[in-house]
Amino acid sequence: MPNTENFISLPSAPPAIHISRASLSYDGSFLFKDLELQLPGGHCSVLLGPSGVGKSSLLRLIAGLEAVEGGGSVEFTSNGCSPSDCATTAPAYMAQRDLLLPWLDALGNVTLGQRLRRQPPDLARAQNLLARVGLENYVYARSATLSGGMRQRVAIARTLMEERPVVLMDEPFSALDAITRLSLQDLAAELLRGRTILLVTHDPMEALRLGERIFVMSGRPARLSESPTPGGKIPRDPADKEFLAYHAELLNRLGAAEAGL
Amino acid sequence: MRILRPLTIAAGIVFLWQIIVWLSGAPHFILPSPTNVAIAWWANHMMILGHAGITLLEIALGLFFGTVLGISSALMLAYFRPARRWLLPVLVASQAVPVFALAPILVLWLGYGIASKAAMATLIIYFPVTAGFFDGLRRTEPGWTDLARTMRASRWTTLTRIRVPAALPALASGLRVATAVAPIGAVVGEWVGASAGLGYLMLHANGRLQTDLMFAALLTLAVFAVLIYFIVDGGLRRALPWQPDHLQA
Amino acid sequence: MTRNLMLKVMLPAAFALCLAIPDAKAADKLTLLLDWFINPDHAPLFVAEEMGYFAAHGLEVEMIAPADPNDPPKLVAAGKADIALSYQPQLHVQVAAGLPLTRFGTLVATPLNTLLVLEEGPINTIADLKGRKVGYSVGGFEDALLRAMLSRHGLTLDDITLVNVNFSLSPSLLSGQVDAVIGAYRNFELNQMAIEGYRGRAFYVEEEGVPSYDELILVANPDHMNREVLRRFLNALEDGVRYLVNHPEKSWGLFIHGRSELDNELNRRAWKDTLPRFALRPAALDRARYSRFAKFMQKQGLIPIALSIEKYATILE
Repeated sequence: MPNTENFISLPSAPPAIHISRASLSYDGSFLFKDLELQLPGGHCSVLLGPSGVGKSSLLRLIAGLEAVEGGGSVEFTSNGCSPSDCATTAPAYMAQRDLLLPWLDALGNVTLGQRLRRQPPDLARAQNLLARVGLENYVYARSATLSGGMRQRVAIARTLMEERPVVLMDEPFSALDAITRLSLQDLAAELLRGRTILLVTHDPMEALRLGERIFVMSGRPARLSESPTPGGKIPRDPADKEFLAYHAELLNRLGAAEAGL
Repeated sequence: MRILRPLTIAAGIVFLWQIIVWLSGAPHFILPSPTNVAIAWWANHMMILGHAGITLLEIALGLFFGTVLGISSALMLAYFRPARRWLLPVLVASQAVPVFALAPILVLWLGYGIASKAAMATLIIYFPVTAGFFDGLRRTEPGWTDLARTMRASRWTTLTRIRVPAALPALASGLRVATAVAPIGAVVGEWVGASAGLGYLMLHANGRLQTDLMFAALLTLAVFAVLIYFIVDGGLRRALPWQPDHLQA
Repeated sequence: MTRNLMLKVMLPAAFALCLAIPDAKAADKLTLLLDWFINPDHAPLFVAEEMGYFAAHGLEVEMIAPADPNDPPKLVAAGKADIALSYQPQLHVQVAAGLPLTRFGTLVATPLNTLLVLEEGPINTIADLKGRKVGYSVGGFEDALLRAMLSRHGLTLDDITLVNVNFSLSPSLLSGQVDAVIGAYRNFELNQMAIEGYRGRAFYVEEEGVPSYDELILVANPDHMNREVLRRFLNALEDGVRYLVNHPEKSWGLFIHGRSELDNELNRRAWKDTLPRFALRPAALDRARYSRFAKFMQKQGLIPIALSIEKYATILE
């Protein structure tokens, strides 16, 4: 078994994310206005909230897919530049849907970034990443033949391939069944350890399992409030008593957020 | 075994035709019976096939040029807003004009040979192909283009590696429609002025009261049209194996 | 007093009314399919209609213009219409193909077909056609006519190139796509070109080796025809021709009455050229003339044998 650790490089100084005075409007009203958020480098932060509050929009803002309005800014600390101009600190993005291109096989999808940037695809590394996510027998499979869980695993491999220190994930496991979800959470936590991660989810269980910091987003325009997290190594054990107590507390906060929206 | 189904369908059509002839009592110079047509076909098959070759060439040229022009137009429409503003209404209007009106003009410009017929077929094929491909390009899954942006793809690679492959199924649909109507363009062109081809043969036979020969030419055209469609359809399915067909035939 | 009024006024009035009521017998209906869109070739028919000659003979004639000239004889042969306007050469072929048709009257008693060239063009005699392109319409027998005309000058069909231009006879000649056209009517295409400012030269087919024939004839289905009714039709038609010949100016007014789309320069010129060509005696039949043309068609290979005339022509007494 080759030393797969070499294929997943750990970033030496993963940048922190600074969001200051960020505003975004949709359909005439502000989703959020003058939002301030500091996300620590090298840790997994989770954004939790009811649907429609603007979590995905905030994520897209950080990814550079939406323009910041009204003089706000999103910055990464390593070089102080913003996502749209720094190739090295540009975040990797993983959406709820796997976004696999149906005409490419798993290998082609994993090496998509290199193809799009006209770089020669590193097939050996891609194959190894696929093995790492447990799909070594499906390297040449088209996405139509893969199950939902397997497709998201290819997406994880694709995200890893990009070797970005910042990884943004938008409810990547919500469309999967409970068992698959748990195993993919474990996989993601293991493979993405050490990077700056912002995970958006509506599942408080997932937030507590993976999040070192948890922010609850609520209201229109949205406000963020931090929620306490239990200790313990990520991914946390949901059967733990402490975990269950925090889970109940988080549910209450979410309920209040839902009511307030 | 697979040939059995189309043969059964053909036999059914012939049977229905014979019934119609019996029931309607239509005279042979208006609706000949299948046997008369078969006899006429056999007696003239070399001539009919010769004319068929000409019409097939016109259709093939029309398919080629129509597809090439259609693809280029769709790309232009997708990427240049002035093209969308000015070209799109013209495109739609051109479809409303019946080809019958355009045919004499084309014949006047391009002469009575193959060129004008190929041009007619091209015109008929052009719109479905353009519309299909343009639609496909417009409707690229936004998630994919977002992903491409986060991966720092250039506009060019986003086009060639994501938008175009994603639009190929829509292009294929347009191409299927175009293939089905291509024979119409060729035949209408021949009606306006030609000295060869199945459309010409039909007109000629009709004028000479050789209705059975006319039907023989008509059937030959129908059979070839169906064959061309299945060839194109099969080719498209082979070219796009990743396109799932949810309805199993 | 009132009783006297009744007898002196009401009764005679009632009596007069009875006399005034027209004959209760309904008019015989006929459907007539023209050969093409309404044009001056149909003048006597419309004069007869406008002058009420059909009604006077107890007829109600519905005239329908088809889009495809090939249809009318077929529809009459199939029993879907009573009368069709057709062409004598086509009749020979149709009867040979087994269609139940018979000619019972003539509308235009001379050929109208010509071989047309541009006056300023390279063709001065038919012999000049050697190596040239000749446009024709499908459905006619123009190639047979051409063969006859060429043979007089020692040429065959191989010496020319035939191009099917369908209905665009004038445009193809004027645009130079062909050097000559056959199938052009002397009263129409010549005038059409003159209006566009081009002088055309016509070679009349009957002067160049083709036997004379009737360009427009009236055909009916011998199995369904009502001879008495059709005879009355011909009488009314003859009245129309007579009026046309005697009063050409007034007849033009009747032709365009209620049909203003026909009032154009081309129709006006064609009207004058067509006038001398109408059959003055629509019912009359020159047997030998018809047989001579049948033999010509047989010689040209258009029909297998020249049938005896009773098979395709009728004289209505």
